[in-house]
Amino acid sequence: MSRAPNGSAAVRTEDVWKVYPQEPEPVRAVQGLSLQIERGDFVAMAGPSGSGKTTVLNLIGGLTRPSEGRIWVGDVELTSMKNKELARLRLERIGFVFQAYNLLPVLTALENAEFTLLLRGVPRDERVRRVRSLFAEIGLEGLEDRMPGKLSGGQQQRVAVARAVVGEPALVLADEPTANLDSVTSAALLDTMERLNREHGTTFLFSTHDPSVMARARRLIHLVDGRISSDERRDAVGRGP
Amino acid sequence: MRAFVILRLALRSVGRNARRSVLTAAAMVLGLALLIFSRSLADGGHEQWIDSAVTLGAGHVAIQAPGYLESASLDHRLDAASVDRAVAAVRATLGAELAAVAPRLAVEGLASAPASALPVRIEGVDPELEVAFSNMPSRLTEGRYLAPDDRLSAFVGVELARRLDLEVGSRFVLTAQSSAGDIQGQLVRVTGLFRTGIPEVDEGLVHIPIETARTWLGTPGEATTVALLLSSSRFSDAAVARLRSATAEDAGLRVLGWQETSPELHDAIVIDDVGDYIFHGILFAIVALAILNSIMMSVLGRRREFGILQAMGLTRAQTGWVVFGEGLFLTFASGLVGVVVGMLFTWGFFRNGLDFSAFMENDMAFSGAIIDPVIVPEFHVRQIVLSLYSILLIGTLASIYPALRASRFDVAEAMKFDQ
Repeated sequence: MSRAPNGSAAVRTEDVWKVYPQEPEPVRAVQGLSLQIERGDFVAMAGPSGSGKTTVLNLIGGLTRPSEGRIWVGDVELTSMKNKELARLRLERIGFVFQAYNLLPVLTALENAEFTLLLRGVPRDERVRRVRSLFAEIGLEGLEDRMPGKLSGGQQQRVAVARAVVGEPALVLADEPTANLDSVTSAALLDTMERLNREHGTTFLFSTHDPSVMARARRLIHLVDGRISSDERRDAVGRGP
Repeated sequence: MRAFVILRLALRSVGRNARRSVLTAAAMVLGLALLIFSRSLADGGHEQWIDSAVTLGAGHVAIQAPGYLESASLDHRLDAASVDRAVAAVRATLGAELAAVAPRLAVEGLASAPASALPVRIEGVDPELEVAFSNMPSRLTEGRYLAPDDRLSAFVGVELARRLDLEVGSRFVLTAQSSAGDIQGQLVRVTGLFRTGIPEVDEGLVHIPIETARTWLGTPGEATTVALLLSSSRFSDAAVARLRSATAEDAGLRVLGWQETSPELHDAIVIDDVGDYIFHGILFAIVALAILNSIMMSVLGRRREFGILQAMGLTRAQTGWVVFGEGLFLTFASGLVGVVVGMLFTWGFFRNGLDFSAFMENDMAFSGAIIDPVIVPEFHVRQIVLSLYSILLIGTLASIYPALRASRFDVAEAMKFDQ
């Protein structure tokens, strides 16, 4: 495990490639991506379908390995880590929010949200206190004992956000988090994530098609064919359309 | 903590996928229940065969002089002191498992009547002890069994009586070689006739009082076998071992189990068991495939769930343990239910026996045993524990492959999977 060249970055990639061997032509999902995301940033990654957004998130989250190049999350390099070390890194430093909510269907809302704390060995009272406090912040109070199937899409996605941030990870990777939500629910969810970013200093990296997400991002990266086509730093964050 | 999380996830998954869990469990419960039923029926049948053979023959355990098993000759008999030592050893060694002990003096000879002469096996028995020992008295068809005061009486099979043209009250002569090597004759009178259903027994066995045989053959107080009847054949091996240990210093006594005195019957049971085990193997294979299929389908349908678990921080191995835990829980729960269902089913429907008489035209017999068409199942703790172990092993093995598959999913690919 080597140290990142720049210790202040939340994420840094260096000439990362992801190639899927396929006939007749291999698919180059990510091509030579070099990127640095600062701690506490709120970054959106946009681009057409197949541009490599999800693959980039998977690479940074250690869910898949690059064909070439190096990736650092904080000060640790992922590329040479074993699967077990990657699992520990995800548990301790990275939160995930997926497009399809992806709650564990066998656990209640509270149990889903506290899952990473449970894996870290946080005592039950502390887990419940933190989850209840977060649920109160994001409007999920009273839904703690509901199974995922009994929650609306927006509620499920907020539980997923709670699960991603409750352990106070350094980095949250959100893959199209608003794709299945109506505009009102999307706005509420983004409000929540913005507040968590502001108050806890959590770094957020989104992949998105959603203009409202792009409008709120402080940095907007466009990907085309696995390459960065534009990288725009926006000081003023808008409220979106 | 991780183990607790894994266990909780496994149990929740079993509960959430209730239909699949019930189907998987049903395969195991049915398999185990069938196994217990089939095994208890086989054990009950074998016990009947053994019981039938040992009560007509040399008992569950026989104490003889060395060489008698091979020669069946009076030259290898137990002298009076040996008979006493053998009986004393039995009384000192065995407890409640001993049902009866009876000395017997057997010799091969000839039964002669005006009509004909036939080779027979002549057994000198103690009429009083024999009632407790063998089922011969219950095979009576005419007349009566031997009585303690009888001297020149004989209890003969119906086929022998027919061929020698004998009836109750008829007299005939038994001829055999005495202990001194002379050919000696003994006049006896038929007191009763029996039918066992075993042709060689009905035609070739004669019971006479042991004191008559001893006097006739010149062997006072002596015997060829001290036969032991136990309350169940299950105690045979242990009884033989203990008696062998108790008589280890006595070169004049040889302790034999029924497997040695009735080797054909033992072989028949072994062959029958092998057939059963093949059937059980096929049953296990079907159950294993059912479990494997059910768990595997579940795993393939939950790829995204396993992807989430790994994205949340579970390792691949821990993800596999979740699936393995589900399999183990289902296996153990089904195993316990299966034992109860199997025993209740067998006891509830067949405690008075399963009647196969519709499939048997006549009395069936082999190796000195009569096959009763009504088989009463017997539960042997050892067999039930073995059956339980077997199904647990099958369930555990069938859970390994799905667990390995779950641990080897590519997380990024699994997350794309549409549930």
